[in-house]
Amino acid sequence: MCDIGCPHLQEIKASKGVELYRIIFSSFVAASNSVARKRKAIHCYCFVCKSVDYRLHSCLNCVYFGCYNGHHIQDHAKHKKHYLAVELSHGNVLCVACGTYVYDDDLLNVAHELMVRAGSRLGMGALYRPWEPSTKVLELLRKNPKRRKIVPGVAIGLRGLINLGNTCFMNCIVQALTHTPLLRDHFLTEEHVCRPEDQPGCLVCEVSTLFQEFYSGNKGPLTLHRLLHMIWTHARHLAGYEQQDAHEFFIATLDVLHRHCKASAPALPENENSQRDNPHQCSCIIDTIFTGGLQSDVVCQACKGVSTTIDPFWDISLDLGRGGNNIGDDSSFNTSMGSDLALSGEQSKQTNSGPTTLIDCLERFTRAEHLGSSAKIKCNNCQSYQESTKQLTMKKLPVVASFHLKRFEHSSRLHKKISTYISFPEQLDMTPFMSNHRNNRNLFNSGASSSSSSSSDSAGEWNSSGSGSLSLTDNRYSLFAVINHLGTLDAGHYTAYVRQQNNHWFKCDDHMITKANLQEVLDSEGYLLFYHKKLMEFQ
Amino acid sequence: MSRYSERRKAIEASLDHQNHDGKEKKVNSKRAVNQHLTIEGDKEKFKELLRRRLIECGWRDELRVLCRDTIRERGIHNVTVDEIVEDVTPKGRALVPDTVKKELLQKIRTYLHEKAFK
Ligand SMILES: [Zn+2]
Ligand SMILES: [Zn+2]
Ligand SMILES: [Zn+2]
Ligand SMILES: [Zn+2]
Ligand SMILES: [Zn+2]
Ligand SMILES: [Zn+2]
Repeated sequence: MCDIGCPHLQEIKASKGVELYRIIFSSFVAASNSVARKRKAIHCYCFVCKSVDYRLHSCLNCVYFGCYNGHHIQDHAKHKKHYLAVELSHGNVLCVACGTYVYDDDLLNVAHELMVRAGSRLGMGALYRPWEPSTKVLELLRKNPKRRKIVPGVAIGLRGLINLGNTCFMNCIVQALTHTPLLRDHFLTEEHVCRPEDQPGCLVCEVSTLFQEFYSGNKGPLTLHRLLHMIWTHARHLAGYEQQDAHEFFIATLDVLHRHCKASAPALPENENSQRDNPHQCSCIIDTIFTGGLQSDVVCQACKGVSTTIDPFWDISLDLGRGGNNIGDDSSFNTSMGSDLALSGEQSKQTNSGPTTLIDCLERFTRAEHLGSSAKIKCNNCQSYQESTKQLTMKKLPVVASFHLKRFEHSSRLHKKISTYISFPEQLDMTPFMSNHRNNRNLFNSGASSSSSSSSDSAGEWNSSGSGSLSLTDNRYSLFAVINHLGTLDAGHYTAYVRQQNNHWFKCDDHMITKANLQEVLDSEGYLLFYHKKLMEFQ
Repeated sequence: MSRYSERRKAIEASLDHQNHDGKEKKVNSKRAVNQHLTIEGDKEKFKELLRRRLIECGWRDELRVLCRDTIRERGIHNVTVDEIVEDVTPKGRALVPDTVKKELLQKIRTYLHEKAFK
């Protein structure tokens, strides 16, 4: 191709600059407003053969569109001596005289700027670019040729944890956390900045050291007595050597870490969206990874007025019982079932007999529930106490979605474990449970009617908002850790399955680490399920 | 600057003229769909979605390797863009994973259904 660059383009640039290119790009490549888009839609076709694809180009000198595959843009170029043309789907510049595309830094900069602008006007957010190392990183890599790679069969990142007497609840949470990709990256790149007043005995430093230990390449099991002691002093309700609930420990750990990271976390940008983008109003690593926003819509049944609140969450606790999720009482369950008669018999039966899949659980969790006549709420709209429905949906998804299957039932009468089999997928799309998706379909319909869309259908559905416009938000997750509770309520044991890298699963049973496979993981009972977002949205 | 806005007006005028001379009476449905997608800006979104999926699944990297092979085979100074395109296009098409094709197809179908193009 052209090593010396294209003299034809240099000539045009010298006499006319980049403005011509800018006009064509903003009108026909990345049309940035509806007028321009309309013009593009109506006028962009080959002047000779009328085709709209076949690599359509626009002449850079005059108003002419011609396709490349039919040789029509080349004919125009040669006939009129207008050698330069802009390819209209990506904006690359073709020189017909040189017979090749020309890559010019000034034009590429214009293209990038206009592409980003058009994208943001269409609400596409930052255009997704794969990671490319910076010059600084490249230099560092060149100077330090030694690599530690994670390849199949390498045990890096896998360390057993000694049981200090009923501490398997802690061990399995530590295994899940150390295998949380984003958290691992945070601690391995030593992003924690310690404040002098936190020393000695900074909990975050301890966790940081723990991550380094996990990935040091050593294989022997680790003892977590220092961490255990620290957590005991920070979360007194967990102290003692009795078996603790792994879920409670997980939340306590996030809380302790959040409180320690908060002070050194960067300040949040102030804008009107901050409540939505950051429901916990904290930019620490814990909130960056684990915090989502749960929207609650309470609809007054008298005036249909909606009052909406958004609350932060670190995990989602899912009921496994037969009733509704938000409200346990049987009467409200029956009320919402009453409106469900239109459902086919099979589906109602399924709803009746309790959830059998994670999707079922999420369907129930995000279903509108009647609050019942005994729970009248004052409506802000009509200023009276009325019956209402309440619906929870996902306003903002966290990077790591943690699901807690409520297998332990504690009431005044009994404590029992629910061992119902709940299947959970390796890949999970949260789109059907998003606020914009759920609400515009059924907010004003009868409560449970939304469950009439079968879960397999809705899981793959396009995330469309009310106006029918498309959204590029990617809500897909993949499973990376599962914590299981084995045995009974009083004599139980916790183990964890963790994903070391794509499709390599390991079972962590205190100090013992054994190879596992995906099927075994998916067949396990499941108590805490951890999913990691597949694609990160760049801000 | 005014020179360019004049030029822009010239483009617009010329295009409007094109539109009115009635060559485009026969609008087939493919064109109608294409126009609609473009006007709504949804074509860009579908394109961006496809681009992301192809990057994610490694298709783009595979294609890079194919292009490099063709260039190496034919010699960097002899090869033309057309030759690379000709060589790589059929292979590239075959390499698009079925899951990606299926997802796009389903989304476009749902979209058209919603927009009542049937
Ligand atoms: Zn040239
Ligand atoms: Zn021309
Ligand atoms: Zn043509
Ligand atoms: Zn510290
Ligand atoms: Zn925080
Ligand atoms: Zn009201």
